[in-house]
Amino acid sequence: MKRRAWSVERGAPVLRAVSWLVYAFLYAPIAVLVVFSFNSERQTAVWKHFTLDWYRVLFRDELIGHAVVNSLIVGVMATVVATVIGTMAGLAMARHEFPGKRATQSLLYLPVIVPEIVVGAALVSLFGFIAMRLSLTTVVLAHIAFSISYVALVVRARLTGFDQSLEEAAMDLGANRWQTFWRVTLPLIAPGVLAGALLVFTLSIDDYIITSFVAGPGATTLPLQIYSMVKTGVTPEINAVSTLLLVVTIGLIAAAQRLETSKR
Amino acid sequence: MKRFIALCVLLTLLGCGGKDDGKRLNVYIWTNYITQELLSQFTAQTGIRVKFDVYDSNEAVLEKLASGASDYDIVVPTDYMVRIMTKQGLLVPLDHAKLTNLANITSKFRDLPFDKGNRHSVPYLWGTTGFAYNKAKVGATLDSWAAVFDERWKGRVLMLDDMRECFGVALRMSGHSANSTNATELAVARDLLVRQKPLVKTYNSSDFAGILRSGDVWIAHGYNGELAKACDEDKNLAYVIPKEGCTVWVDNLCIPRSARHIEAAHTFINYMLEGKNIAAVVNAMSYACANDAARPFIKPAILSDPARYPDEATLKRCNFLGDLGESLQLRDRYWTEIKAK
Amino acid sequence: MKPQSTIRAPRFAFLLISPTWLVLGLLFLVPLAIMLWLSLQRAGLYGVIEPGPTLANYIRSFESGYTIIYARSVWIAVATTVICLLVSYPVAYYIALKARPERKNVLLALVVIPFWTSFLVRTYAWMFILRDQGVINSLLMSLGVIHEPLPLLYTPLAVMIGQVYAEVPFMVLPIYASLEKLDRSLLEAARDLGASAAAAFWRVTMPLAMPGTVAGIVLVFIPSLGTFITPDLLGGAKGMLVGNLIQNQFGPALNKPFGSAVAMALTAFVLALLWAYAGWARRRGEEVAL
Repeated sequence: MKRRAWSVERGAPVLRAVSWLVYAFLYAPIAVLVVFSFNSERQTAVWKHFTLDWYRVLFRDELIGHAVVNSLIVGVMATVVATVIGTMAGLAMARHEFPGKRATQSLLYLPVIVPEIVVGAALVSLFGFIAMRLSLTTVVLAHIAFSISYVALVVRARLTGFDQSLEEAAMDLGANRWQTFWRVTLPLIAPGVLAGALLVFTLSIDDYIITSFVAGPGATTLPLQIYSMVKTGVTPEINAVSTLLLVVTIGLIAAAQRLETSKR
Repeated sequence: MKRFIALCVLLTLLGCGGKDDGKRLNVYIWTNYITQELLSQFTAQTGIRVKFDVYDSNEAVLEKLASGASDYDIVVPTDYMVRIMTKQGLLVPLDHAKLTNLANITSKFRDLPFDKGNRHSVPYLWGTTGFAYNKAKVGATLDSWAAVFDERWKGRVLMLDDMRECFGVALRMSGHSANSTNATELAVARDLLVRQKPLVKTYNSSDFAGILRSGDVWIAHGYNGELAKACDEDKNLAYVIPKEGCTVWVDNLCIPRSARHIEAAHTFINYMLEGKNIAAVVNAMSYACANDAARPFIKPAILSDPARYPDEATLKRCNFLGDLGESLQLRDRYWTEIKAK
Repeated sequence: MKPQSTIRAPRFAFLLISPTWLVLGLLFLVPLAIMLWLSLQRAGLYGVIEPGPTLANYIRSFESGYTIIYARSVWIAVATTVICLLVSYPVAYYIALKARPERKNVLLALVVIPFWTSFLVRTYAWMFILRDQGVINSLLMSLGVIHEPLPLLYTPLAVMIGQVYAEVPFMVLPIYASLEKLDRSLLEAARDLGASAAAAFWRVTMPLAMPGTVAGIVLVFIPSLGTFITPDLLGGAKGMLVGNLIQNQFGPALNKPFGSAVAMALTAFVLALLWAYAGWARRRGEEVAL
């Protein structure tokens, strides 16, 4: 498939400009966050002088370290499990006809529709009902529960209208259903699955309401910890945490990217 | 990939391990209500390891306790919530024999209406809900709730995002009891609050001190601990208990019925009843405690600060949040009306 | 391109779908049943639940004092979704169709990375930017453009900024997923046949990317209906939306039955909307990712 010289088109520079404007909008608060994590003045938006003090405070803060670890454990587990289950669901919904499909669709919508506060309260009642004590495990379960639908939705959207001739060709050439799935279908839907996984991780690492309901002793995640820090008065220590998190994630992604390009 | 998943599972399992030998304690407490040092000292002294989590609303605690799924051994509800929790049978009666330091409690805080005989609760910290203002910006001395209803400060007022507290203010302003259950009186209060709304820049129950300090508002309704700290940091600010009176509240240590370490919980409560321990919290967090044995250990600056330790005459004007009964629902309807306008 | 045909392999489908039913059935249906039961009970004093059954909570939820709240919530959700769509589509389009292939994943990740900082922190950052003594006002005042700070925070504008900001990834990612799989040869064919860039977009690209667009709209509109933290923080908590109402009932009002009834009504309303859309799209013969 030849690619036309799209970049020569008149529209492209405008599109690029608009996109970068949106990126600027996305990163404006982030930039503010990072810059003022080095500001010596607590409250005002006036630059005093550069300092690493807030980072020092941060490193001495055990509670935050614990919260970060909790958030990562929950985030990774929820992402892995929810992405697998959600991809399977998305496949089934996009490709297959089966009795109960309408009901399944409504089921998949529930986590998106029901207000978070109701989900949280309902889950706490459920855990109480089955005599399951709140802990980090209940947080992971809750996160998996509300994430599956997002993956299913994104994967299904990607698959809808997808050309099936590739898969049919594979099967004609003798591959069975499983082989076709692993070597043809999965790579084709990979961008959708990746998008879904990113969505789940984002949802999990930032969830406050539901987590606040179902977290048990010692299961404080980062959003819960930050929420409580805000009551102490918004100090740049919070900025410092966020900046560090950003640096780490960007670093990870850059590393993954380098790995990706070196493989080719 | 598979190894990565296995590692994650292993980490989680490791996380939820640890033998439970009764030497553990799970504490659920307000933000900024206890220090890590004090907990470490407690562990050193008793060998009991403590995990603590924080919350910022009484109703959140109620929700967790009512479900039966919570795993906390100590909770710290406010006075009216102690009443609600006892009515729902969610608290364990305290074994006074184990609380040898009980005598330290200030007599004024013993036997309070919401928990006669301290059967289920022991007072921890207490405070008032008045307002603080910026003397320089306002250019006058304020001493009445009229300040938050004054057109001159339009767009410069902050009120707590709290139905009971706001109604308390409006009821006092109209000369009635803050715990009124009378529908007519409540309607008058509602109208006052509706007229006040354009004056309010924001309703906020967590960062009221910060917003006052940042200059976004000049008058902030709020709890005395954070406001007094703000006044320490900025000499232009002053805290006021208005002449019409305000809410006085006390947060209490309680043991939930679903607690698994009741012995350790009693040890903790007794520990916090010791003068020097509670004094450490007072010095760090800026709220007052209901403990006579603590007085020698509290910083004189705090002890003599009328914002934190108001005198008797001032306190007489204040009252606790009472039993509202049915009128809670009416307040809620009116509050919805006020906010929805 | 061969038309999409759905496979009838019920056993395989059941295999694919059973974990979903297991997890969601246990962790959503059962709790929802509990909520439904709650909505039919009475609220006693002190938060005690008194046995019903009664429809009083549902009847109350339709009083005029409450329908205003629903209307305002719908309005905010619609505004958020529309603005979010306008903001997100160009980015998704750019990444999917214009960016160099090796850059796509990075650009996509760049959209999402800001959202791996805490929601609360980002909202406080916006407050920091929009306050009277915030970044924007300080800048404008120091440049002499204005002499009094502009009231940017605690306004509907601030709420909209915060709302749209929080939802961008949920709009970009699904639209991207849909656009990315577009068969470019179709677009080329359209251009070869003389269509302008705009026409090619409206009549080829957009319809083909509809499934992702609809998914994005659903993922943004529906949660926006229940929003309350952003309007509280950035709008000054001066309004009451459905989310606030439900939160109050579960919180200080100690009225879980009424809160559950409102939540159930909201859920039913949205489900009805979705079914209506699915029915309408199916009748038009459209491919529906719903």
